Formats: sequence, C-alpha cells, structure tokens
Amino acid sequence: MKKPTPARISQLIFLALFLVLFLMTEYRGSDRIVAAVNGFFRANPLTAVTTLLAAKGYVPLVLPGLLVLLFSLFLGRFFCGWLCPLGTVLDLVTGRIGKTVPPSWLTGRVKFWLLLPLLGAALFNLNIAGLFDPIAILLRGLTFCLHPLVGDTVRGGWRGLYGIMGEGRDLLAPGFRLVNDYLLPFREALYPLAFASLLLLVLVICLERFGERTWCRRLCPLGTLLGMAARFSPLVRTPDAPCSSCRRCAAACPSGFDRELMQKEECLACMACVATCPTGKVGFSFGLRSEEKPLMERRVLLGGLLSGFFLARLFRFRDPAARAHLLRPPGVRTEEEFLHRCVRCGECMKVCLRSALYPALAQAGVEGLYTPVLIPRLGYCEYNCTLCGQVCPTAAIPDLPPDLKKREVIGKAVFDKNHCLPYAKRVDCIVCEEHCPIPQKAIRSETVVMSGFRGEKLSVKAPYVVDELCNGCGICENVCPLEGKAGIEVFALRDRAPLPAALPGDTAVPGAEDPYR
Amino acid sequence: MHRRSFLKLAGLSSLFWSTMLRDLCAAQGPTVAVAEGTDHGRITRSAINALGGMKRFVKPGNTVVVKPNMGWDRTPELAANTSPLVVRTIVEECLQAGARKVKVFDRTCNDQRRCYQSSGIEAALKGMKNVEVKHLEEERYRNVALRGKALSEWELYGEALSADVFINVPVLKHHGLSKLTIGMKNIMGIMGGNRGSIHKQLAVALADVNAVFKTHLTVVDATRILTAHGPQGGDIRDVKVLNKVVASTDIVAADAIATTLFGLRPEEIAVTVEAHRRGLGEMRPDRIKVIRV
Repeated sequence: MKKPTPARISQLIFLALFLVLFLMTEYRGSDRIVAAVNGFFRANPLTAVTTLLAAKGYVPLVLPGLLVLLFSLFLGRFFCGWLCPLGTVLDLVTGRIGKTVPPSWLTGRVKFWLLLPLLGAALFNLNIAGLFDPIAILLRGLTFCLHPLVGDTVRGGWRGLYGIMGEGRDLLAPGFRLVNDYLLPFREALYPLAFASLLLLVLVICLERFGERTWCRRLCPLGTLLGMAARFSPLVRTPDAPCSSCRRCAAACPSGFDRELMQKEECLACMACVATCPTGKVGFSFGLRSEEKPLMERRVLLGGLLSGFFLARLFRFRDPAARAHLLRPPGVRTEEEFLHRCVRCGECMKVCLRSALYPALAQAGVEGLYTPVLIPRLGYCEYNCTLCGQVCPTAAIPDLPPDLKKREVIGKAVFDKNHCLPYAKRVDCIVCEEHCPIPQKAIRSETVVMSGFRGEKLSVKAPYVVDELCNGCGICENVCPLEGKAGIEVFALRDRAPLPAALPGDTAVPGAEDPYR
Repeated sequence: MHRRSFLKLAGLSSLFWSTMLRDLCAAQGPTVAVAEGTDHGRITRSAINALGGMKRFVKPGNTVVVKPNMGWDRTPELAANTSPLVVRTIVEECLQAGARKVKVFDRTCNDQRRCYQSSGIEAALKGMKNVEVKHLEEERYRNVALRGKALSEWELYGEALSADVFINVPVLKHHGLSKLTIGMKNIMGIMGGNRGSIHKQLAVALADVNAVFKTHLTVVDATRILTAHGPQGGDIRDVKVLNKVVASTDIVAADAIATTLFGLRPEEIAVTVEAHRRGLGEMRPDRIKVIRV
C-alpha cells in the first residue's frame, strides 16, 4: 500500500463531502436546507463563466466559481487534481481498466471543439454547458439513475421481507429506518433520461481505457477551461521533463506526461510525480516560464465560437402542443431567463418534495434538454415548500421566502368538462377543491341542478377555477381520481405575474380577531 | 329443531325485535361526553374519564392505534389537523392504562413528512417510549371484504386492522363536499387505493367502511374548529375556538353531538344519516345521553 499523497487525501475528502451533500439535498424536517450539493456548482468555474455570458450580467451566486478560476491562474488545475469528484471517481476505478492507445481524434483539438461551442452558445443566450459539465454528469447519474435504483432495490427487499415475516419484520425496523432515513431517496421516482444519464457517466469512465484521466485531459470542458487559465500559472514543475534514465514520474502522472515536456494546461497539480521521484529532484515551485506555443489555431477558435452561434440558433424549435404543458418550477417568470441560467444539474429534481420535477426530454425542444419540468400527474408543487429555489446553484429558480413563493404562478388550472366527473358523469367529486391549498380556494364549486342521463333531476356540485387565485401548483391535477388523464389540467402561461399580496375575494375585516389572542 | 318450529321462532323473534327489543335497546342509548375548558389536555382526559376512563378500553399489553387527522401541511392553530395536545394526552392515557405499544399514523394528503412535522404531532410524541409515529408502508394494506352498497371491498391499513384497540381522534371541521368531516370521515385515513374515487358516493362508501371497521373509542377534537374552506383551510380567520372535546364509544353519536357543536343538525350530514339508518349508531340527540364535564 502506497502512502497516499495529500492530493489523494483531499480528493477523498471532497468526494465524501460531495456524497454527504448529495444525501443532504432532501427534505429532512426543516423548511431550509443548510447545506446542499449546490456548493459544488457554485464553485464550478464553467458554470460561473457560462452563466455570466448567458445572463449578460453579474450573478452573485457564482462568485466562488470565479474565485476558483482566479486561483487557477496561480495554481493551475488544482480543482481537477484535488477537488473534482468525477476526477476522483476516475482515479479510483482506473486501475481496473486495461489501457490501450487513444484514437487520433481524441488527441487533437477536440476538447476545444467541445468547450468553445459551449461558450459561444452561452454568449448567444443558450447555456448548455451543464450537459457536459463533469460534476453535473456525476450528479445526474446519481440522481436520476443510481440513487433511485438503490432505493428501489433496498425498499423492494424490505417489502418482500414483509411478505415473508409479516409484522415480525418490525423487529428489524430500527435498523432499516436508519438506512431509510439517511441513505435512501424518500421516494424512488422513475426519471426519463435515467439511462442516458447513466450512459454518459459510464462513457466517461470507459474513456479511462485510453489512458488515465482521458476525459479530464482530452474532453472535459471544465478541465479545458481551467487548463487555459493554468497556462498563466507561475506554479511549475521542475524539471519540466522526466529524466531519461528513470521516467517513474511520467508513469505515475495521471495526466500522461506523454509529450516529453510538462504540459501546464494538462497538469492536474496532483504532485504524484513529487512523491514518486526516487532522487527527490522533482518539485513544484513558483517561477515565470512563458508558454511558447499557441493555445490553439485561429481556425479552431473561430470555428468553435461560430458553432456555438449555430448551436444557440438552430435548436430552438419547440412543439407548441408540448409547450402548453411546459411547467417550470415556482418563481421562474420567463423561459428565456431561465434557460440563461439553468445548469441542468438535476438538483431541483433531486430535492423536490413531491418528486414533481423531471428532466425535459422533448417538451422544451433540444435547447431545453434536462431542464426541470413539473409534471402534475406525477407530483405537484407543495404549497409551503421552497426547496428547489434553495438548492438551485445559479438562481435560475429564485430562492423565495414561503409567502412570496406561494404567490408565484406556475400555470393555471383548467377543467376538461368532457372528463371531469361532475360534468361528464353528473356525480359529485370535488377532490380537487378539497386539496386546493389556497386559503380562499382557487377551485370552488356551485351546486347546480343538472338533468341526468335518464332525464331525472340531479343536484351536483360543479367545480370551477378562480383564475385570479390559481398559482398552478398542480395538486388538483395530481389528485384527480380519474385514471391516466385528469379532469383538470394545469397549462403553462407566458405571463406569470405573481398573485397579488391581498388576494381578491379575501374579505379581510379590518381588525379581524385572532382567535388565539 | 323442525323446520316449521324454526321458522316460527325466527318469525316471532324478528317481530319481537322490531317492535319491542329495538326500542328497549335504543332507549338505553349511547353515552357521549362533552368536556369544555381551555386546558385541552385536561378536558381530553376528563372526557375519557366520563366514559369510564381509558382502562375501560385499553387492557395491559394491548397494541393501540391512535388515528388523528394529520392529513394537511398546516400548523396546529389553523385547525386542519387534530390538536397535538389532544393526541398526546390520549397516547399518555393509553400508556398509563398499560398499552404495550401505541401507534400513531395517518394517510396524508400533502407530503407525509411535512404533514407529520407541521401538524405538530410528530414533535409532541417525540421521545415517548413505546410510541410509534411512522409513515405508512404500502405493503401493509390488506384487502378487506366490505360487501357494502358502494364498495364491495377495499384496502385497509394492516396495523389498524391488527390493533387490539383503535382510537379515532378526528378534528371537527368544515368540508366542501360532506359539509363536515368528523369521526367517520377520519376513517378514510386507513383506506388505501384511489380514495378520491369514493367521493362520488361518499356517504354510502364511508358507511360501508365504518360498518366493517370498528372504532372502539372516538375522541373528537373541537378545541378549535375550521368553519369554512375545509378540509384544508389555511386562513386563521376561518378558525373558531370552542375549547371542547367530545368522546364516545359510538362513532355516529360522537359525530352527531359534534355536529350540533358546529351549529348544524345531525340529519344535515349525509354520512351520519346513512350510518344511523344502517344501525351503526345513534344520531338522534334525544336518544343520546350527553355528559357535560
């Protein structure tokens, strides 16, 4: 067993932190989440840069990301070697993957062809960097696939145990509760794109076949961005080439060292070379050494940015019918602003109390891939809950106090009288009214006399929506007892002005008595 | 016995039942205790004591289910859920009577974690020994044959079915469809499946369930009531403080007396009427013995 390097220790600590924060990104009895996994995105320079480019203004939340970028100007790619949880995962599994020579397309300028279009697209208002962001890839793989899978398996086994042991299972309950409360997702939602999320993560891991940290060196847009900053870093390895007689450092270097000369933009600052050098000759020191060769050819720079322009402009097609059901999380006022900022990291979907948010597959067109969409039939927006805004790393979903969040309009509910029971079948129902959380009720009912299908007179409670009060939370559509399609549905709106503070119909008597006084 | 004599006996005894015995039985009538006071723990205790104390219902070693209404993500003062103090007092009484285990649960309408939290009930029972406040587990539902008028069978919660004593602790409040929700409606909290679908004949369906599933003791929380926008409420101006607790072994009678506290007549509540018609309990105030404490 080799003595672990400081970088490895730091990596493991941050990976553990990442996993702990991941598990903390869930409702645990408190209205506020103290710490969530969004910290990793706030400190993510790629998120910071693309968000600022797309939003065309300063977003205070991404300040830590800018600071990391600034530090990278001095310390090189320390983020990749010391912090990045995906990099740590790669380092942990790479020993088990056989190596072969990378194909030529991987060794060229392909990483710039990935990063530059993402930056270009952000400049032209389409922020899709999150799709290839390493931390987002890891988080989505966990959120949409692995965590629900674990939850489903463990809880399935627990249920199965009930079939065998019956109530005798209660003896084991304390142990299960511990696992259930702290390690499993509250409910194992099935997510669209679950497989795609896993596939991307697995692909990144499979790239290890072409050498250690192939993803980080040759593709990762975050790594490439940090590599560009690292070129200016005064922190350099000396000597800058391995000694011809030994080459142990070159073998130990996770980043290759295959070009016989230290590549500052690929050095992860992990200092594995320092630890392996038998003579103690290798060290890192601050000094000036200018990088002579150009970063990339001009055609790569221009071509990359130009493809970003095309990317931003050509994938905007949206199906209008799908758009009618494109419900965004509460507090999102305009689609454009939302897309400028959304990282597609999946945190809001992870934290959503009712598992109401799902990654968009086609609802929002190609440009909206993986952005969160509320699907009321699967889950509704809980009236008193503000968690999605709390964990959003870029405030694409604003963090609002409960009183304001309740007034934010997601959409408006509309009855479908061909399905809704009182209208279609002339029977009482009113489940939607019962569940409507607005104190003055956005769904109300009136008793009407209808003639039944045999001509008899029937007195039925007919529900209707009060538009001025409806915030589109979707609980009505969620609880509608009809199977499949609900008798009431929430439709998206362009104008999502919040409900007024003093709700119409709220006959507030001045000095109304508080019965508890 | 010969067929003829059996038929005679059967015929005569049914005649006897319908003419005399029924009135005789009914004349005894159920007892309902109504306790009033600002100390909600104390009045809960005195209402139960007026019926003979918790020892009458809970024997040492029993497993007891206390079923409050905590279906909504609302704080206690909004009167959408049963008062945590009332629930805690009942749980304490059960333990004192020698209960081996007291289980408290509800099938919530909003997110279960938030409901258990906001209702204040989880916090009120925290740290009590032999008390379980657990979320429902879907595998525990059992299909129960109801053979009712609306429902032939339905899934009911296993722990409620297997309990030695079932104590129903509803809150008295307004309801958009059934006018009021009290004891019999609170039994919906142990029903599985698509509960919303029974709303098309709510009264009949609830009577079906209550005819098969027996509540041993009903304690209605009327310490504060939701007078409008029920069952969820959310506006403090819809809340009225009554400072009362109603208790009875007869769920229909408890509902009926609670209804009068709300200012309505029992015959206005369809579930009560349906249940009374089926002989599940008494709803006529003049046939109910009310003890005021």
